[in-house]
Amino acid sequence: MARVRITRNPLMAAAVVLTVVAAGAAAWGGVSRYEAAHDESAAYAQARDDALAAGEQAVQNMNTLDHRKLAKGLDSWEDSTTGDLHQQLVDGRDAFVKQIQEAKTVSTARILSGAVTELDDRAGKAGVMVALRVTVTAPKGKPAVKESRMLGRLSRTSEGWKLSALGQAPVGNTAG
Amino acid sequence: MKQRGGSAVVSTDVDARDVEEHEEAAAEPGAVTDEGQPDPPAPARRWPRVVAAVLAVVLLVAGGVLFAQGRALRDTPATANRALTDSEATTRVAGDVSNALGKVFSYSPQATAVTKESAKQLLAGKALQQYAALFGQVEKQSADQKLTLTTHVVRAGVTRLTENSAHLLVFLDQVYEREGKPATTAAAQLSVTAQLRDGHWTVVEITSR
Repeated sequence: MARVRITRNPLMAAAVVLTVVAAGAAAWGGVSRYEAAHDESAAYAQARDDALAAGEQAVQNMNTLDHRKLAKGLDSWEDSTTGDLHQQLVDGRDAFVKQIQEAKTVSTARILSGAVTELDDRAGKAGVMVALRVTVTAPKGKPAVKESRMLGRLSRTSEGWKLSALGQAPVGNTAG
Repeated sequence: MKQRGGSAVVSTDVDARDVEEHEEAAAEPGAVTDEGQPDPPAPARRWPRVVAAVLAVVLLVAGGVLFAQGRALRDTPATANRALTDSEATTRVAGDVSNALGKVFSYSPQATAVTKESAKQLLAGKALQQYAALFGQVEKQSADQKLTLTTHVVRAGVTRLTENSAHLLVFLDQVYEREGKPATTAAAQLSVTAQLRDGHWTVVEITSR
């Protein structure tokens, strides 16, 4: 019997060690997977990238309008916005349609660069700054190209990030 | 690997038993049938070991897969960019770069040398070359026309940030003052690449937007 035990022991020990190691590996992998899924900084980083992508697209939409496809353009404005800004666009739509139909302009925008300046992931609020080039073509004359810089506020909605405010970054009131 | 280990356990066991039985009853006539005796229970006893080995392998693999999934979740392009996620570093790079741009794009006829000197400290690489080309004209103009330029950073945003490299978008106001004329303000937008050198963010590339 003594001999049997001696021959058995190293194998049993190896099997036990293997089992413990395997269980440990599974537990460690599980914990690491769980932590990754609940890693707030990873979620925050993703929210930042989502906000920037949505913000840049929305700013581009808001600077693009073709008088021949007015309904489509203004729908895209309304889709890109939420809150007060959205309401303003809806309220002012009829007057604006008239204005653009008379001016017969075509505006296109190209985003040059953008950055998220602030992000509150929990509140679902973000601020973006965007540099863009806007080309406005009127029926007469050469297309006017203008570099523009804009500051936008974004709010998270069930359909993703949308602009709740948008304006030109002010020039000339920063002294001091 | 694990399967072979399992069968090794069984066969050693059988050998040990054989040896014992031979010792106990070496003179027994049915020695040949004795040799076969331990075999029938063997498949039944093998099962728990095979199951245990398979289980161990499954656990190891599961651990590896879960860990890999965790890595994939954590190490995305989004997490590699530390802009805003590392708020301290973000504030610092934005501050350093704003400060540098304010200094190198501000000059007065009396103090172009000061501006030139700070440029040498705050800029490097391509940015320093771009700046040197530009500043040759500026220096002359500033002296001839008594032109003073003051640059304020309106807003700086960090687009991309890693441990020692950063990409920013900066909105600037540039106030030009000529002696005897009202000041004019121009807007400028710059894309800036900066690198961390000796604990300070140095501007290495500037692109006008």
